[in-house]
Amino acid sequence: MFAQVLATEFAKLRRSKVTWGTLAGLSMGPLGLALFMWIIREPGRAATLGLLGTKANLSGLEATWPAYASAITLVVGIGGMLLLSFIVAFIFGREYTEGTAKNLLALPIGREWFVLAKLVVAAVWWIALTAAVIAESLVIGLALGLPGFSARVASELVGNAMLAAAISYLPVPVIAWITTAGRGYMPPLAFAIAMMALGNVFGKTGWAEWFPWSIIPSLIGMVGQPAQSVPVGSYIVLTITFVGSAVATALQLRYADNTQ
Amino acid sequence: MPPATDTTVISTSALTKRYRDVLAVDALALDVRRGEIYGFLGRNGAGKTTTIRMLLGLIRPTAGEVRVLERRIVPGEASVFRRVGFLVESATAYPNLTVRENLDIQRRLTGAPSTAVAETIDLLRLGEYADRRAGRLSLGNKQRLSLARAMLHKPDVLVLDEPANALDPAGIVEIRGLLRSLADERGVTVFMSSHILGEVAHLADRIGIIHDGRLLEELDRDELKAKARAYVAVTVNDPTLAETLLHEAGFRHLERDSGAPGVIRVLDAGKRPSEIAGVLVRAGLELTALTPTREDLETYFLRLTGGDL
Repeated sequence: MFAQVLATEFAKLRRSKVTWGTLAGLSMGPLGLALFMWIIREPGRAATLGLLGTKANLSGLEATWPAYASAITLVVGIGGMLLLSFIVAFIFGREYTEGTAKNLLALPIGREWFVLAKLVVAAVWWIALTAAVIAESLVIGLALGLPGFSARVASELVGNAMLAAAISYLPVPVIAWITTAGRGYMPPLAFAIAMMALGNVFGKTGWAEWFPWSIIPSLIGMVGQPAQSVPVGSYIVLTITFVGSAVATALQLRYADNTQ
Repeated sequence: MPPATDTTVISTSALTKRYRDVLAVDALALDVRRGEIYGFLGRNGAGKTTTIRMLLGLIRPTAGEVRVLERRIVPGEASVFRRVGFLVESATAYPNLTVRENLDIQRRLTGAPSTAVAETIDLLRLGEYADRRAGRLSLGNKQRLSLARAMLHKPDVLVLDEPANALDPAGIVEIRGLLRSLADERGVTVFMSSHILGEVAHLADRIGIIHDGRLLEELDRDELKAKARAYVAVTVNDPTLAETLLHEAGFRHLERDSGAPGVIRVLDAGKRPSEIAGVLVRAGLELTALTPTREDLETYFLRLTGGDL
């Protein structure tokens, strides 16, 4: 039965402009970085074209493959905190904004299967976006001819970006829970923005590895040097967050009144 | 004839829903039998939709219980909905998907055979719109799509909240015929709320009237006929004098029609309309109409729920 639920969840994305919108949004990241790399490499021409302010300070920045790869991980990490939150809010919230939630709740299928199927769709959507952006980044980086390219750098880019994508996925059932409890898009998006800000604050404290939304900023270097690895404690926190909020979402659908 | 039996398909006992200070449904006891069409009537805010939501497990009762097809509706109950189709409040569908795609989602989720989509499109006369996105349908066709979704898996029970909403008069007649045939030929039990009283009067085998969350009355067609009052409506140029004259002539149960100042209802006229005419004409009053009338469901409903007649 779960296969049928999953098939219907994918079918609901047919002709959806949101899927293409998220791809367009995330793919702007590597393009912006490429432009940035070019400006660093050729500041004179950039200034001539008006792309660089006269007071811009580019000292300490370098247009190399390692720097570019690190920035790509940052794009995926930030995308994970905001864009993935938007995707999850859309997948769950559209049932309320389009008035179809009530149609799902009196069917011969446990409501928890819808939660699971929607989370799987979000995961697949996010993996596809991440893969597309990684591929785009590699193509653009090679086209730019940045120095320092090697198979090791490329594999690190892929590995770090996928790790950032995976870790940023783990707290998203919280977004699902807020969406089902709030029955719309605004509460989860406000929450995602608030957590991004709070994650940055916590990331600068000793609590970084214990707060789910500061683990990604620490890993990708939003709050200092990128962490070399994710502590075991962070994985435990993320796993508890994932399981706890997924269960909370299922219980919300099962027990809360639906007066939509 | 309808295969209505005494088997109870939907029952509620002491069903109550309270939202803080508001008692939306108060100790409701319903019994809906197999194969019957049950009309659930009530004004706005009477508790109809809240009741329907509790029947479907969309909201939890504060007290009491609901049973559908002998299964108690509790959180997590799902299997019974293989045999239940429903439409709650407004018609909704995924706007980016076509009619066919929307129905295919329902087919997959209810385990209906692959032929069910085409059959239901034909049944609800949606063929012309089958490949049109739901977001581009008229309100009436969206309603048809929602009814199709409810009927697609050939349920034994249909719970329909205002099924005639947004349908044009021909559509209303068509859906009425469809529901009647489902009940008569397949023994489908239909529980429907409606604000179109004439529609319910035409279609329902039994009618429940809910007001302020309480079930005021439950009656079948024969009982409605028996309870609906017969009277003679008298239109006259001086209703005050006419009332006095009729009272003196022995007519004791007289009512003014608040909606029509010159009209008096003579409730105990029986078979004596000519006697009424005689009394008024002999007194020189100008009698312009004298109409033996029987209350319809609308009048009965308004009288029962304290509305203006």
